[in-house]
Amino acid sequence: MNRKIFSYTLKRILYFIPTLLGLLLLTFVISRVIPADPAALVAGEMATPEQVQALRHQLGFDRPLHVQLGFYLQQLLRGDLGKSLYSGRRVVQDLRERFPATLELTLAAMFISVFVGLPLGILSALKRNSLLDHALRIFTVSGLAIASFWLGIMLQLFVSMWLGLTPLGARIGVPAPKLITGLYILDSILTGNGTALLSALTHLVLPAITLSFSALATITRFIRSGVLDVIQKDFILYERAMGLPPKLIVCKYLLRNAVISTITQIGLLFGLLLAGAVVIETVFDWPGLGLYAYQSIILSDYQAILGVTLLAGFVYVVVNLIVDVFLTLIDPRKAEL
Amino acid sequence: MKRDRKPVGMGKGISRRNFLKAMGLGSLALPGLHFTAVPSRSTGTSRFIQGWPAELQTMDPHAKYDVTTEPIRLNLYDHLYRYLDNPPKIHPWLAESYSVSEDTLKWTFNLRKGAKFHNGDEVTAEAVKYSMERLLALGLGAAALFKPIIDPAAIRLKSRYSIEFALREPYAPFLSIIPTVSIVNPKVLEGKAGSWGSEWLATNEAGSGSYVLESYAPGIGFKARRFKDHWMGWKGNFVEEIELRTIHETASRVMALMKGDIHGGDGYLPIDQIEKLEKDPDIKVYEEQSMRICVIRMHNQRVPLNDVHVRRAISYAFDYDSFIKDILKGRVARNPGPIPNNLWGAPKDLKGYTFDLKKAKEELMKAAVKIDRPLNIHPMTGFSQTDDVALILQAGLQQLGVKVNIVRETWPTLSAKAKDMNASPDMWIHWVSTYYADPENWIGEMYSSSRWGAWKASSWYKNPEVDTLLKQARDTANIEARRTLYEKASHMVVNDAADVWIYNTKWYGAYRKNAKGLRFCPVGDGTEFRWISLV
Repeated sequence: MNRKIFSYTLKRILYFIPTLLGLLLLTFVISRVIPADPAALVAGEMATPEQVQALRHQLGFDRPLHVQLGFYLQQLLRGDLGKSLYSGRRVVQDLRERFPATLELTLAAMFISVFVGLPLGILSALKRNSLLDHALRIFTVSGLAIASFWLGIMLQLFVSMWLGLTPLGARIGVPAPKLITGLYILDSILTGNGTALLSALTHLVLPAITLSFSALATITRFIRSGVLDVIQKDFILYERAMGLPPKLIVCKYLLRNAVISTITQIGLLFGLLLAGAVVIETVFDWPGLGLYAYQSIILSDYQAILGVTLLAGFVYVVVNLIVDVFLTLIDPRKAEL
Repeated sequence: MKRDRKPVGMGKGISRRNFLKAMGLGSLALPGLHFTAVPSRSTGTSRFIQGWPAELQTMDPHAKYDVTTEPIRLNLYDHLYRYLDNPPKIHPWLAESYSVSEDTLKWTFNLRKGAKFHNGDEVTAEAVKYSMERLLALGLGAAALFKPIIDPAAIRLKSRYSIEFALREPYAPFLSIIPTVSIVNPKVLEGKAGSWGSEWLATNEAGSGSYVLESYAPGIGFKARRFKDHWMGWKGNFVEEIELRTIHETASRVMALMKGDIHGGDGYLPIDQIEKLEKDPDIKVYEEQSMRICVIRMHNQRVPLNDVHVRRAISYAFDYDSFIKDILKGRVARNPGPIPNNLWGAPKDLKGYTFDLKKAKEELMKAAVKIDRPLNIHPMTGFSQTDDVALILQAGLQQLGVKVNIVRETWPTLSAKAKDMNASPDMWIHWVSTYYADPENWIGEMYSSSRWGAWKASSWYKNPEVDTLLKQARDTANIEARRTLYEKASHMVVNDAADVWIYNTKWYGAYRKNAKGLRFCPVGDGTEFRWISLV
C-alpha cells in the first residue's frame, strides 16, 4: 500500500512540469498582449518616443514573442528569474524577501480557518436546526458575503483605533528577528527574541483574522455538510446501537469520513488565501507577495509578474499535492484512482 | 478495526501523552525568550515618521523621477540647486553660483568647497560630471529632460570645483531642471553590481544629503539618520531620524495619523478625509496652493475634435462651478489656462471658459464638422475624481445632444496610448505635477508640437505661432521676455480651446501638532524633512 502511495506521489510530482510550463506560457502570452508598454513606463513620464524605442530595443521587447520566450526559458533553466524593470533588483531576491511574509500570513489564516472552522462546523451539524446552528449560519453567510477590505478596515477601526489592542498595520514594530526562515514568528522563537515575537504576533492577528474569515466560513459549511451526510449512514447507527459513547463515535468514526471533502477544500482554499492576500496586504501594509504582484501588474513589470506567477503556481501545486497525499493516507482507495 | 488503522499509515498517531509532552517541552522553551523595551508609537522627539501612499520600488535617484520618489532625492541626496518654499524659488545648494552665456548654450556651475558625501569624500565637480553621465547613460527618469539637449562629451571640468555644460541647442529653463539631478559619489559606486552600480544603488545610497540611509525594505519604506557633517550644518532642534513608511490605503493612513503612529501624511487626501482630520484636536492641516493642474485632454487632430468650435463647445459644456464648489467643496482653485495660476507666465487677465450651454450651442452651430459618433472620455482607474470629471462633462454634453462614453483605464495604459497619435484617446483626464517650476513644464511640454510623442503632449495641438513663441521662450535667457512670451502663448492656446483646464490643486498636508517647521514646496510636496522638529 505504501508503494502505491509512493508511486501516486511520484506521478503527481511529474505532472508538475507540464502544469507549471502551461502556466508559464499562459502568463507570458497574457502579459505581452495587454495594451501597456513597459518600456514607456520604465523610461519615465518625460521620455521621448526615440528614448522609449531605444529602451524597448535594449530590453528586447521589440523582438518576436517566441524569441523573447526562448530567452526567458533559457534564463529560467539557469535558475534566474531575471531583473525587475523598476526596482533593478533580481526577481529571485524580491521573491525571497516577500514570499515569507505572505506565507506567514496565509499559514496563520489557514490555521485559524481550520482550527476554528472544524469545531464550529461539527457543532453546527450536531446541533442541527438549534439556535446555535442558525447563529453559525448567519456567521458563515457573513463570512462569504463581507468584502475582506471592508472587514479589514472595520477591524482596524475597532480593535486598533478604539480599543488600542493591536497595531494598525505593518508586519513588525521592532527590529526584525535574525533572518533564518523569513517567518518572523518562527525566527523569533528560534532566536529567543521575545520582543520580536510579541510584536510579530500583535501585527499578525488582524490581517490573519481578516484573511481567514471567508475560508473559515467555507470550512464550517463544508464540515457541517460532511458530518450531516455521514451521521445518517448505517455504520453510525450501528455504532450507536452498540452503545458506544457519543464522543467516541464523533471523534473516531464520524469525523474521519466527514472530513474528506473538507480536506480537498482546504487545498483549494490555500490558493484562494494566497490570492486574497493582495487585498489584505494592501489594507494592512503587509509587505508580501500580494502587494508585489499588484505593483508588478500595474507597472507591467514582465519579469516580476512571471516570477510571482511561477512561485504562486508552484506553491498551489505543492499544497494540493500534500492534500491529495494526505487524502490517500485517510482513504487509500484514492491512490488507485 | 486493526485492518482499518494499519494500511493508512497513520501509525498510532499522536497520543494524548505525547501531545502533552510536546506542549510541555514547548512551554519550557518560552522562558528562553528575551524581551527589550521598545517604544512602539511615534511619541519620541527624535524620529519623524511620514506615512506615504506609494511603494518605493528603487532607491536609485536616477532610475525614477516622479512625485513618489521625491523623499529619496530631497533627504538622502543633494543637488546643485534646490527649490524651496511656495511659490518655489531656486536656491544655490551644492553650487554657490552659476553663469550662463548670452546664447544660453554654456552653463557653468561653481561648487561650494567642503561639502561632503556621507562616507567623508568631498563633493567635487568630478562627482557632478559622473552623476550627469550616469543619468544620461541609464536613460531613465529625469534623463528625458537632458538627453535632447546635452551630449555627455560636452560636459567639461573647469576645475575641481567648477563644471561647464555645453548644450546642443539654447535652453533657457536649464537651471530650472538642474534640481532634478541628484549628485552621487562615484567612488562608492565603483565596482558595484549592475550597470553604473544600478543594482547596488537600488537598495542603498551614495549621497551627501541631510540624512544617511539606515535601512530600506521594499514595500515598507526607509529609515535614515541625520548627517552630522552636512554642509548646511544643523542649527536648531531638528529631528535626529526620519522614517518614510509606506501605507497604501488612505483610510489606514488617516487612522495611523490620528492614532499617532505617524507624524505626517500625504497632501492629496479625499475631501472627506481632510474634513475628518481638521476636526482632530491633535492634528494641523496645512493648506497650500500647489502647481498640480487638472485637465481634460482633447485629441486636436481627430474628427470632430480637430474643429476649434467643437472644442470650444466642449469647454463651455463643463460645469466648473458645480464641480469645484459642490463636489470638491471649494478646496481647489479654478485654473483657466495651461500654466498654474501661482507661477510666473500665467496671464492674470486670462478669463478662460465658464459653464454656458447657450454659447456651447452657438459654437456647435459654427462647427464645420458634425459630431456623428459618441465621444470617448477616459478617467483613470483608481482615481475617483477623474470619474466625477467625466460624469460632469457627460451630463453637460448630453444637453447638447452629444453622447459621451466613459471608458476607465489605468494610468500606465493611458500614458502609453497618449504617446501614439492613432492610439491616443478622444479625451482623457489627468493632472500635471511640478517636475520643475518653469512654465516649460506645463505649456512648453504640453502644447509645443515639437513635443508630440510625449504623454504630456497628448492633445496633438499644433499652432505654428504658438510653436514659435514657445521656441523663443526656450531660447531666451531674460525671464521678463520669457514671461511675456508664455503669457501670449497661453492666451492663444486657450482661445484655440486645446484642452479643458479645470483647477489648480490645493495641498492639504495633515501633521501631528507636535511636528513643527514644515516647509512646503510644490516640488517635492513638503517632503524635505530637514526643517522639521518635534516638540
